[in-house]
This record gives sequence, structure tokens and C-alpha cells, in this order.
Amino acid sequence: MKILTDTGLLFKRKMLETLRNPIYIIISLSTPVVYLVLFAPLLNKLVGVKGFTQGQVLNVFIPGLLVIIAFLGGLFVGFTMIDEVKNGVLERMRVTPTSRFALLAGRVLRDLVNVTVVVVIFALIAIPFGFHLEFFGFMVLLLLLAMMLITTSSFGNAMGVILGDEDRYAPIVQGINLPVILLSGMLLPMALAPFWLQVIAHFNPAYYCVVAGRLLAVGRIWEPQVLYAFLFMVPLTVITVAWATRTFRRAVS
Amino acid sequence: MPEEPVVLTQGLKKYYPSRKGEVKAVDGVDLAVRPGEIFGFLGPNGAGKTTTLRVLTTLIPPDDGKAVVAGFDVAKEPGMVRRNIGYVGQNGGSDRPATGRENLVLQGRLYGISPAEAQERAKELINLLDLTEFADRIVHTYSGGQRRRLDVAIGLVNRPRVLFLDEPTTGLDPQNRVNLWTQIEKLRSEGATIFLTTHYLDEADALCDRIAIMDRGKIVSEGSPESLKREVARDCITIGVADWKDNVPRLLEALDERGLALEVTREEERLRLCVKSFAIALPQLMRLLEDLGIALETVELSEANLDDVFLKQTGYSLRDLTPEG
Repeated sequence: MKILTDTGLLFKRKMLETLRNPIYIIISLSTPVVYLVLFAPLLNKLVGVKGFTQGQVLNVFIPGLLVIIAFLGGLFVGFTMIDEVKNGVLERMRVTPTSRFALLAGRVLRDLVNVTVVVVIFALIAIPFGFHLEFFGFMVLLLLLAMMLITTSSFGNAMGVILGDEDRYAPIVQGINLPVILLSGMLLPMALAPFWLQVIAHFNPAYYCVVAGRLLAVGRIWEPQVLYAFLFMVPLTVITVAWATRTFRRAVS
Repeated sequence: MPEEPVVLTQGLKKYYPSRKGEVKAVDGVDLAVRPGEIFGFLGPNGAGKTTTLRVLTTLIPPDDGKAVVAGFDVAKEPGMVRRNIGYVGQNGGSDRPATGRENLVLQGRLYGISPAEAQERAKELINLLDLTEFADRIVHTYSGGQRRRLDVAIGLVNRPRVLFLDEPTTGLDPQNRVNLWTQIEKLRSEGATIFLTTHYLDEADALCDRIAIMDRGKIVSEGSPESLKREVARDCITIGVADWKDNVPRLLEALDERGLALEVTREEERLRLCVKSFAIALPQLMRLLEDLGIALETVELSEANLDDVFLKQTGYSLRDLTPEG
């Protein structure tokens, strides 16, 4: 099974990069920690406000942050990909009989490990601050976050191959990043939003994940909102991976 | 028995769409590279050398014509072509955050070699290309020359029948260039055929058994460096004279009148005369200078070089071109 061997080899190669330079994990943790320390306290005054009815403010806020960690974690790997395109690494591998799918899958798997580690560490950090976490719900949430990461990491890697230039990818990241975060209801619940904004939010995959994430963190696995999130994420993941694989196959870089 | 060419192209074409219509990057290239030779593709940037190489290495499909590499058609059996070639792109391709040895082992594994064999092969290549000193350091820390040698080693992992090198010495200082030439020469012992592109005349001259000169998507001339130079068949005399400013106009006029040189070019404070042969032209030139009463300060004789070949075939000199990157 060349496809599996190659995926394993390329995963190992990227994983070794992380292990040699674990600073990545720390940098990825810094943003959510800053939010936790400098932004979360502002929310305390909002207890009882619409959308915060679950009582615990952190249980509204932290699941949203976890979704954003997964979302951004994948989006930013596009820049590493561009680096490898520029250094000719991708081209060198494309001239070998390496499985094209493995070229993508090896990277995405490494990103998945990285982000899962960051998510678990951050969730643990948040517990002493008052974040309530229920084990099985959290496991289901990790599954949802994995799909989010696989989607954005495949997208980021494929865009890196297509564009091959940081200056062209940066505006795309910027253009996606902000609306997705704002419309996910991560900072403030979308329940506070006017109707038109709520309608737009329903086209945002991150919104479904954030809503489901809040339920899952407290162990409410069998809610319709959790099902909606999976119904949204499964096809999105499949479509993005298929598109990214195709891009890697015919790579024009 | 004549040996089968390892690289054979017939009417190879590759077009790119652009705003002004199609750009004919490769416009009908016919090539035959024999096993064991070092074949050079010489031409300015934008001549289509790299595009041709990318077609031959299966990175892009041809639009028309045929290319057979190591016995397999690049369009029909790219997988088999890949198994039998090595490729070192302009940017190298070594993985920067890994060590040289890790790069070599991974490359072997990607070709389906067992871990033990891949280690063994990495060792061989580290010896062959003198990488021992830095093989276990992270590639980030390498100098340009060291990285280039690693890149070439990576290209050799699968014992390719043809090794393609795209501008192997671009960006290297003169010392490292000569060093890399020596390493490439050594690769003959590995039995590989080497196909390289370059825009350096001295490189093509020093390294290649055969050269194809490419310009605007077409091959304009082909042969050994010696035969190409013979084709131009001219010698050059470069002279410097006393009282340069006053004497040069008179001298140029007289040269023109007597039809002594095929071509005259001014190079700073010197004149370069291209002539059919030294033997006839030199005495004539001496007499001319005496008649005009001009004192000769320096004289230098040089045989035709590849730039003259290039000039003759394309109408412009490689030296006049500034690399556009």
C-alpha cells in the first residue's frame, strides 16, 4: 500500500519538524490564552443576558475559542506550503513516484495532531478558570474540530500550491478569517444579533461548530444542533479534501 | 550497435496562454541525448530551457509532439519516467528543517526502497558528493554550495538513468561553481546521463560533451562545444593603441576601407576584430597600423568562444543579456 506508506513517511517528516521546534505549540496557545485572560473577564458582567443562559460565561466562550483554534490552525499552514513550493520541495517530490494524495494527507495529519494537542492543552488550562468540561461530549467535540481542521488545512495547503506566493495568500486569509470569526458567534452569542446577521451566520460552518461546541462541552451530545453541525461539516470536509487532492494531483506550481 | 537515446523528443511543443495570445515557450524541439553523455542546454532566460525540462520530467504535459525519456513516453507513462530519472530544480528541493541524511533517506523511501537500503544509499551518496562534514546538520545551516551538493545527491538516490539539472550553478560563487563542476564530472562514474541547462557559456564549454543552443523556444544549433566553435570559424584579435581618442576614428575608417575584419566591436579602450584567420590578418593589421603611424600598445589573440556561436545563431550576445530571474 504505497499510498499509506507514503502518507506515513510524509507525516513523520512534518511531525519531526514540530518536535524539533515545539515553539509552534506555544505560539498557537498564546492567542487563546490572551483571549482567556484579557477578554473573558469582560463577559462576566453579561451573565443572564440573552445567549448566556447556560450560566457559566466560560462555557459560552471557551468552546468558541476551540473552534477558532482549529479553524486558524489549518488556514495558516498555507504559508508553510508556500515556503516549500518556493524551495522546490514539492516539485522534487512530484518528480518521484510518491502518491499525490499522500503529499496532502501527510501534512494534514500532522496539522491534526498539532491542533488536537493545542486544543486539549488549552481546554485543560481553562478548567481552573471555571470552564466545565464533560469527557464524552469533549470527545465528540474533538471529532468536530478534527473535521474543521482537515477542511481548513486542505484548503490552506491547496491554496498554497495554487498561489505559491505569500503576498497573494495573505489577503485571502485576511478576507476569510475576520467574517468567519465574527459570524461564528464566538466572541458574543449570535442570539444577540439582528435577524439579518443571524441569517448570514447560518452559512458559516464555524457557527454550527460553535453552537454545537457549547452543548458538547457540557455533555449534551444528543441535541439537534450537534447533528446540524455534523450534517454541515461532513460534506464540507469531503468536498474540500477532494478538491485539494485534485489540486495536488495536477499542481501547476 | 548504436545505443538508444535516453532522451528523445520530436516536434515537442508547449504553449502558454497570455494576454497577447499564446506564448510559444517550446516551439518544436527535436533532441536526442545519448547514454552516458553530459548534455547541455544553453540559452538566455526565457528561451524555453526550463519549460522543456519540466516537460521531460513529467511536471507539465506537452501540448504537441513526443518525448521519450529512459524509454518511456512522458505523456503516456509518467510514472515509469519518474522511476528512472532524477531531477534537481532551480530552487533545489531539499527540505530545510531536516538534516541532509534525513533528506536522502526520505527520498529513497519515497521511491519504495526499504529503510535499510535507503540508509545504505544515503551513506554512498554522502561519500560520493563529499557531504560527510555536514550530512547530519539541519539544512537551514548549509551554505549555498553545500545545499546544491545535497540537492544533486537527492536527485541521484534512485540511481536514475538520466539526471536533470536545471541551472545547477546559478547563484553560486566561482569557487563553488568549479567545485560543483568537479562533482558533476565525477557522476560519470555512476553511469548516469546528465542533462543540464545553463546560461553560462564557460559552464557549457567546460562540462558538456554536447550542447544545444536554444533561443525563443527553438534549438538553433547543436553539437560538441568544439564543433560549434569550428562552425563559426573565426579568430579574434583584441588591440589597444596609443592616443586612443585621436587614433580610433582613423583606424576604424581604414579598417573599413581595406575590409580587413569581418566584424569590429569596441570594448572600452580596446578594439576587438573578428577575422577569418590570424595568419593572414595579423600581418595586414601590422602594416595598416604602420601606414597610419599608430603605435600598438597591447594585442591579444583569442579563438572563437561559444558566445560567438551564440551571436551568430541568434543575432545577439549572451553577455548583453541581463538575467531577468
